[in-house]
Amino acid sequence: MSRPFPYAYISCPCANTPVPDPSKKRRSRESPQKASSHHPDQPKPPPRFDDSEDEQTFDPRAPRSNFSLYPPEHLLYCEDCHQIKCPRCITEEIVCWYCPNCLFETPSSMVKSEGNRCARNCFNCPACTAPLAVNTLENVVRGGTSQQGPWVLSCGYCMWSTLDIGIKFDKPTNIRTQLAKLTATDTNPSRSRQMSRTFADLKSPLSTFSSIDEQFPPAPGEARPDDSPDQSNAPLSPDARFHALKGFYKNQIAATSSSSSDPLGVDFGAGFSSPGALNRIMSLYTSSSRLSSLYGGASKKPKTKPPVMREALTASEGFKTPAPDAEAGLIQRMAADGCGWDGLASLEQRVFQSPDARFVEELLPLATLLRTKRAKRCKSCKHILVKPEQKPQSTRFRIRLIALSYIPLPTLRPLMPAGQIPLPGAGVTSSSSSGSHPAGLSMNLDALPPLRPTQLLLTLKNHMFDPVRITLATPSVTPGRVASKVTILCPQFDIGANSDVWDEALQGNPTAAAASAGGTATSSHAPADQRSSRSGAAPATATAAAPGAPLGIFEKVAEAGKVWDKGRNWTTVVLEVVPGTLPSGSSGVTLPPSSRNPDARTTPRRTTGPDSDSDRDSDTSSFGGKAPDWTGRAAEQQQQQQQPPPPLQPDEDVLEIPVFVRMEWDSENQIDRPGVSAAGEMVKRELAYWMVLGVGRIDPSVLG
Amino acid sequence: MASTSYTNSGYDDSKRPFSMSSLRGTPSSPHTPQHNLRSNNSSFASTTSSTSFRGEEDAIIFELGARWLRAGFEGESVPMCVVGCGPEECRRVGDYRGWLKTNNPDTDPAQSRPLINPEDWASAYELWKMDLRGVDLGLVEDKIERVFRETYNKYLLTDAGTSRLVLVLPAIMPHPLLSALLSTLFSRWRFPSITLLTSATMAATAAGVRSALVVDIGWAETVVTGVYEYREIAIKRSTRAMKALLQETGRLLTSIPTARGVRSQPAPGDSGISVRFEFCEEVASRFLWCRPREGPSPADLQQQQQQQPQPDDSETEPTTHHSPLSSLLQRTVEIPSPSNPGSTYINLPFSTFSEPVESVLFAAGTADCELDDEEKPLPLLIYNALLTLPPDARGTCMSRIIFTGGGANIPGIRQRILADVAALVAEHGWSPVRGKVIEQQRRKLANLRISPSSDVQASAQDPASSHLTTDPSEDNRPAPSNDTPTETKSPERSTYSEPNPESATENPTQPQQQQQQQPPEDPKPEDEADLEDPIELKIRRNNRDRDRDALPPSVQGVLREVESLGPWAGASLTTSLKIRGLVEIEREKYLQHGLAGATTREFETHGHHVPDRRSGLRAGGGGDRSSWTLAGWG
Repeated sequence: MSRPFPYAYISCPCANTPVPDPSKKRRSRESPQKASSHHPDQPKPPPRFDDSEDEQTFDPRAPRSNFSLYPPEHLLYCEDCHQIKCPRCITEEIVCWYCPNCLFETPSSMVKSEGNRCARNCFNCPACTAPLAVNTLENVVRGGTSQQGPWVLSCGYCMWSTLDIGIKFDKPTNIRTQLAKLTATDTNPSRSRQMSRTFADLKSPLSTFSSIDEQFPPAPGEARPDDSPDQSNAPLSPDARFHALKGFYKNQIAATSSSSSDPLGVDFGAGFSSPGALNRIMSLYTSSSRLSSLYGGASKKPKTKPPVMREALTASEGFKTPAPDAEAGLIQRMAADGCGWDGLASLEQRVFQSPDARFVEELLPLATLLRTKRAKRCKSCKHILVKPEQKPQSTRFRIRLIALSYIPLPTLRPLMPAGQIPLPGAGVTSSSSSGSHPAGLSMNLDALPPLRPTQLLLTLKNHMFDPVRITLATPSVTPGRVASKVTILCPQFDIGANSDVWDEALQGNPTAAAASAGGTATSSHAPADQRSSRSGAAPATATAAAPGAPLGIFEKVAEAGKVWDKGRNWTTVVLEVVPGTLPSGSSGVTLPPSSRNPDARTTPRRTTGPDSDSDRDSDTSSFGGKAPDWTGRAAEQQQQQQQPPPPLQPDEDVLEIPVFVRMEWDSENQIDRPGVSAAGEMVKRELAYWMVLGVGRIDPSVLG
Repeated sequence: MASTSYTNSGYDDSKRPFSMSSLRGTPSSPHTPQHNLRSNNSSFASTTSSTSFRGEEDAIIFELGARWLRAGFEGESVPMCVVGCGPEECRRVGDYRGWLKTNNPDTDPAQSRPLINPEDWASAYELWKMDLRGVDLGLVEDKIERVFRETYNKYLLTDAGTSRLVLVLPAIMPHPLLSALLSTLFSRWRFPSITLLTSATMAATAAGVRSALVVDIGWAETVVTGVYEYREIAIKRSTRAMKALLQETGRLLTSIPTARGVRSQPAPGDSGISVRFEFCEEVASRFLWCRPREGPSPADLQQQQQQQPQPDDSETEPTTHHSPLSSLLQRTVEIPSPSNPGSTYINLPFSTFSEPVESVLFAAGTADCELDDEEKPLPLLIYNALLTLPPDARGTCMSRIIFTGGGANIPGIRQRILADVAALVAEHGWSPVRGKVIEQQRRKLANLRISPSSDVQASAQDPASSHLTTDPSEDNRPAPSNDTPTETKSPERSTYSEPNPESATENPTQPQQQQQQQPPEDPKPEDEADLEDPIELKIRRNNRDRDRDALPPSVQGVLREVESLGPWAGASLTTSLKIRGLVEIEREKYLQHGLAGATTREFETHGHHVPDRRSGLRAGGGGDRSSWTLAGWG
């Protein structure tokens, strides 16, 4: 689907436990039996995951499964809960904040005041998001000192520079502060003082309170437009308007809630300066802490309606009526010749810009968003799962419990029909996409022939130091409209322990061990090497990876109930898949491709066992292009033929096999509890989860 | 004015012991500065006061809509990020298809895209639908979880769940949806409490006004909310909103002949859309515009002038822009070809891009009788919303019209809507009664009239407007400042409406108002005081020694737009002022009972009040202490 075929996804078991709805709990508690039969996990209205038992097949195509499926390397494992942990079942704690551009760490106290963005010179291009460089316009070397002219930010990718919006900087450092000042003066010179002030407010939250009040003295005598629509002759930027409104509301609240002449009235910091506050704090601990009685007791005043404050009326209070010609001006600008498609900012460009920015020339460079390093904990037991080093430059982890060291790594590759030359490494979950291989040499997984049995090799590789017993289960027919038949020839098998590679190396032959030593990364090569090592032909192993490898390997015929191949810590079994046909055009008739013709539709669908329901569900009436046959309700079979099936949804042609994996193993009790004999005690563990194997796309051309 | 207000304040102080004057008398006495309005909701005093004394982190504010989520910290003017939840955001982890250019059917020009049903075309991009029948709530929960987690990790850069959460939500949320949202948030993270605020009220707050008519041209619906003193008192909805507009734009782009070569022109009705949603939205956000109102007829102009003492905002616009408009319509703009946005451009007339707006939002070309109740065009919707408001609230709200939502960004739409509403008012006045018989009656009545003044002609043209029913007072509300119409009209109307008994029964307020206005020899300030909003009056009194006289009077009765910073900024303002919302849901209480634990408001005494019979779970007497409410959402 998303990655090159074939691939494997693992569904985190947390998908089976829906979000508990407390009101349901209450309802059950209110029920007459008043039972303690507390059903925390009542299924949600669409019971996709029935939790009575895991009878329900996991449907990889259900929209919800997108949120529970993860590539195996994205998952963590909690050793306390013995459970796979996906990003949904962990909590995160930020370890450090850093700028991804300059890798400087930002102290936590500064992060918020800097707006979660880098406060240095790191900027991203507003047009294309590439990082901007600080460049000088003139560079005159005079004597020993170099005289460098004004500075600009310029994008190396799209050639945008701050010159486009008419901004130059005096010095190459502290660009962000300079930019804030410049944009303030640029948009509105009269308000520059205020804007820079508001920027300063951003820098230190404490100054907000003090500055706002002096900033907006009661109705400054300047332009008092008598409520005419051209009040906006001094338009504030949204940010300044916000702060004006905030100051206004503060003044009003202060004025209406206390005497206006009191000097403390507007001072919000002095929470404890008056006896009333003390009184309030004291009576916090009394039993009845209704506020009315609190205040009533304090000031002997019964509770009344709070005094009301007035509305903002002037522009300096943040009130704004739009200019009558503003919108018309915008339209003129949009239609102007110089503007066009590229003159207007795209949605993506506008996301982080001021809400008024509509044209490209109004875009400002954006300081780079900071990033975080986060420690991760198990949500249920708070056990720490991942803890990175604090330094931004370091890529090390102090603790990292990734799931792949506990669950077997699944890899899938097609089993070539005998006689074809196998390409080791082809199609296994390596970077090589099988579609790019020369035709004929390997199976094209992007065009699987429908209705032709295909054999696949599923290798599970164990990374634990204990041998694991695996039970695989899969629905015989994949869910969805495109019904493919799946058979696992050997659903139950063992995988050896991930013992020291040298053990085997010393027992067996050295070359194979050396090859499998790097097996974690290049797991694709491991099976081939192991195989030849088992055959005992030491000289042959050297060339096993080459295309001219012993052809006899694949002449083996897959047998039911038998493991295909087995190595030190891996086991390969065979999956047989018969891809279904795509429904478009025909109603998914399972006929051999040779005899396919439009008249053959009378053949009933053979493979619509469990999925005929879902098929009908998706046949919503809104889909039907043609008028449905209202009378012909005789047989649902017939209806299916009459009604053209909905067009193929995206990715519906992808053959994905849900496989239920259940692993059992005996492990040493790793938690040293006092009292329990720590060493040597074996505990039986088991883990079960759904896995989705993406095989390939079904060939759409082989259709009726 | 000074004298009257002085006496009034004396009267009022008897009711209100917490008088400003008494406080002012003792300036030196120390007092407790009250930095929040917690006293507003006394029932939460116990729960909030305990928390407000420990050092609190800044609350985090999320505004949730059907398509976008805005998130940021309190006290900031703009949200930190705006994120959507389209199909790209709903992919599996590790699915980087959106970044791939090759083998991507979406960007592959060779592949022709099939026609998609417009409903499915758009629904993939929404977080939820109001129609919950087809919504998988589990999927909504999944999406919410992911979008919140990623917002915290990518943009907010703070530990999720440590600080209070404030959610700005539409005023109407289906309970399953609200429950899913809250359950997900509470069970996934350890938020101590979640406060819910309504978006309409917050939009009014962010405009600095207490009353407003908030026109939210949102995704699925346009919601017109009359907010009066921060209370939502009337809501009207229409499905003519951005979703329909985008679908129409998609159809338009699909039907461009060069786009699909051989494709025959699809039927205008239910045809599918073949262009990509992202492309369509891009085009819509860049180029959609709204034509100004067609030049009104002279009679309309005359009436507008009568009705609006200050008509310049709505009227100068069509006249002044007539000539530029025609030149605008001549222009062409270049957009990427819908079938192949990567490489080729096509030229389209600029006027094309105003057509979807006309047909969708203004229902151009559709007869009124064909419109269902839920698909009224926006001007009519606003007019109807104003009509349902009580006259005094109407006068206040109509001069504080706030446009929010995605549709408010379409250039020209605000002026156009205001002009259309003004025309509707001019045509019908403030009467909901329509029909031929009524008109005939009115015409007869008008013919009966003896004094042939200019008003009669106007009324003969349009009886409804001269009828003016309930509130000439408010139409001329700003008149006291330059008040010719009040004086002239009120006596005349009294003579006029006497022979019409049904109007009297229909508007029982009318006689009272007339009586109030009957003594025309009253001094002007008195008159103004009568017409004034009493609260406004109170404020004026209280603050009169301060800057009150210098401030302009508040505007009433004129159609006027007020700009708001948006609901998110309003919530940020409110929260940073430490004003607690009425709906504050504490974690423990929610986890006990979920939404069912909310007590219905006391003043709501409908029969099935959620019974609180369980013993032991809640102390019977101290219900106040642990109770919480959903207020409007309940």
